[in-house]
Amino acid sequence: MSIPQQGGAVAQAAAPPAPPEALLVVRGLVKHYGPVRAVEDVSFSCQAGEVHALVGENGAGKSTVAKMLAGAVSPTAGSIGFGGVELGSGSIRDSRQAGVTCAFQELALVPEWTVAENLSLPDGAPLRGFSQKKATRAARALLDRLELEHIDPSVPVYSLSLADRQLVEIARAIAADPQLLILDEASSALAPPGVEWLFRRIRELTARGTAVVYVSHRLSELAEIADRGTVLRDGKVAGEFRRGAWTDDQLISLMAGREASRHFPESPPTPAADAPPVLEVKNLVSPGIDGVDLTVRPGEILGVGGLQGHGQAELLRALYGAAPAVADHWHLGGHRIKRLTPVRAVRLGAGYVPEDRKREGLALQMSVGENLLSPWLKAFGLGGRPLLGSQSSWISGVLRSLSVRTRGPLERAGALSGGNQQKLVFGRWTDRDRRLVLLHDPTRGIDVRAKQELYDAIVRLSGLGVAVIWFSTEVEELVHVCHRVVVLYRGKIADELEGERLTADAVVGAAVGVKGRR
Amino acid sequence: MTASSVTPGLLGRRLWNAPSFLRLRREGAVAPVSAFLVFFVVYVIINPELLTRFQLQTASNLVVPLALAALGQLIIVLVGGIDISIGAIMSFSNVVFATAMVSLPVPLALLAGIGAGLICGLFNGALVAYGKLPAIAVTLASAFIIGSISREVMDRPGGGITPEFYLATSGELLPYVPVALFWLAIVAVLLWLLLQRTALGRHIYGVGSSADSVRAAGLNARGAQLAAFALSGVIVALGGIMLAGSTITGDPRSGDPYLLSSIAAVALAGASFTGGRGSIIGTILAACTLGLVGNLLFFAGINSYWQYVIAALIVISVVGLPVLWRRIYQAVRGVRA
Repeated sequence: MSIPQQGGAVAQAAAPPAPPEALLVVRGLVKHYGPVRAVEDVSFSCQAGEVHALVGENGAGKSTVAKMLAGAVSPTAGSIGFGGVELGSGSIRDSRQAGVTCAFQELALVPEWTVAENLSLPDGAPLRGFSQKKATRAARALLDRLELEHIDPSVPVYSLSLADRQLVEIARAIAADPQLLILDEASSALAPPGVEWLFRRIRELTARGTAVVYVSHRLSELAEIADRGTVLRDGKVAGEFRRGAWTDDQLISLMAGREASRHFPESPPTPAADAPPVLEVKNLVSPGIDGVDLTVRPGEILGVGGLQGHGQAELLRALYGAAPAVADHWHLGGHRIKRLTPVRAVRLGAGYVPEDRKREGLALQMSVGENLLSPWLKAFGLGGRPLLGSQSSWISGVLRSLSVRTRGPLERAGALSGGNQQKLVFGRWTDRDRRLVLLHDPTRGIDVRAKQELYDAIVRLSGLGVAVIWFSTEVEELVHVCHRVVVLYRGKIADELEGERLTADAVVGAAVGVKGRR
Repeated sequence: MTASSVTPGLLGRRLWNAPSFLRLRREGAVAPVSAFLVFFVVYVIINPELLTRFQLQTASNLVVPLALAALGQLIIVLVGGIDISIGAIMSFSNVVFATAMVSLPVPLALLAGIGAGLICGLFNGALVAYGKLPAIAVTLASAFIIGSISREVMDRPGGGITPEFYLATSGELLPYVPVALFWLAIVAVLLWLLLQRTALGRHIYGVGSSADSVRAAGLNARGAQLAAFALSGVIVALGGIMLAGSTITGDPRSGDPYLLSSIAAVALAGASFTGGRGSIIGTILAACTLGLVGNLLFFAGINSYWQYVIAALIVISVVGLPVLWRRIYQAVRGVRA
């Protein structure tokens, strides 16, 4: 990682004057949404061939800055100079033509278009011929050139996994041969090999003189790829750093504005091995799952690792009854199970935090309180304000214990930031007599502080005797927080790691099919 | 998205996975196309007379205006909207055309009729795309406005449609080939080329699938929406003109029954009402099926009140069978695995 060096991160609000040869010069950028000040006086510069990181918590304004650079949002004030041209007209088309492309955090691919259409249609006028065959052939060549042989250009994007969609999105941004590439949380759904792929592409581009603005939460990635960086906090520049001259703790305290000494909470004590298991399943079979055996005891945190698309999502869905599944022997909370539905799973004490909080997790138009209560709504019970009133002590307890930053239970869930939305999806299962909670990568794309708060909440949950099954794409989380980790490979358990053997290398090794590495 | 990876025994796997067939499956058109084939066979069995020159001609004159209205509705549905003013636009272009025929030469009258539809489409499209209003509200309002203007233009059936024009739109091109089908085929092929073989057409599909993504790709999403409404207006106007030709009159109420039928045909065609998915051939054949239900009942000796019940059952079963089939397939596969 980085070389610790006292005072290496320069914590100062005013940016140094931009060197004259800088390709991108951002000065005094401001964006207000009504009374909300998303970005306030942000300045930085980026040279050709340089990777400039933008870091900060969610809501710190880095996505807004990225969107202004890409032309998706027009700035309230300030200037974006790009190779002598002034950007910031709020037109994506103008930015693209000036040589700026962006892979957006909220994936900007059209689901019903094929991969080939998504790759080829953004360029050119609407009134021109379009040939599926030619587009597919061109897309094939492009994907091969970018080492994405496994993606079929003729399938519609909705049929791809989240990780593959993100790869296509990045490929589209690269394909336009940009002078400035903006990667807005572009690695959030990628497993380690995907991240390595991304870094290879970034190095190719920077070698050709392309500047890259890299927005990310993952500090280990920054250590590897970022030449320089700007830390944002509450829409302002909190500090700057350069390669090798920072430590994780310094950066985190800059981002959070407080001393944050460690990433992970202490693991809770190992649960008693003789307690009757909460979940016991033998030879579980479901689409994508090919004979999995699992036993989880009360208070145990079982990690699920592996590369994207090796059955982790399917495993969690099957265990929650959201996908059809059968097993030779299946007990949940002391009940024998032949077929499971989500309704029955909840009744037997299970809870589930799904992959996509916006699509599967929340009703974005409904209130914070109603979203917390959604598994507990009765068809013929109170609703609206009377219900929220009768449940107000539980709601405020959950909001407080997870430190959800909201204006109250009546605020629209869609108005919260990503990390706080994720806390709602998680929070509905806390303090509700759960026996088993299934988590699908709950920390994807949320900021460092929210992550730590979620880790604490998970550990607290297990301390109360709740069993947790936690799939994560971040190996560090599995290694540091879980008692035991199973690694899936092609729908089967490739390895089970515990105690001494539970190391990051072993998890990654098992994920790519190498067993017994230490 | 369809009952995809299942191979029905009769069709070979290669045909099932051929690129053009794949597009049909993806656009949900397999069910309506098969439904039409079954319906057609049943129809010919009950009433073999359909295959005579006279009946072919009347049947196509009945079906073609509905097919054009359904295509117009399909385009709006593709961009994620719904058009309540389709019947009104059809009546409007119908009366404008019939009135213009009294004094103007045919090409100018045609232009007037098509122009009427285009203006209506642009009006709806501007309010939806640039006014950011919901399509259902805009088109409901414009349905009333356009309906009133039509009655102002012509308050009772009439107009100057000539018998020559009847022959040109509703006669026979060749023996056994009704000219109405010929015009429908030309419109359908041009529309297919536009939607599948130009970037604009793909934009129209993309806008319905995810307007934000299209915008984020640096494309003009609102422009594509407006173009879709304008295009729909033109095609619906052609439907109104064909209707004027086959009835030899202009009538300010003539388009009204086509509103619900056009929505039913689009639903039967397996299009997605959230936008982004729908097939031209599926829509045309769905319109043919629904348009001929009434005739079939007449020849089968069933009271024509039952026409709507039968049409409803066709829609529900054709839309529902793939869903049921997929569920059974998954259950069977789950047990087998």
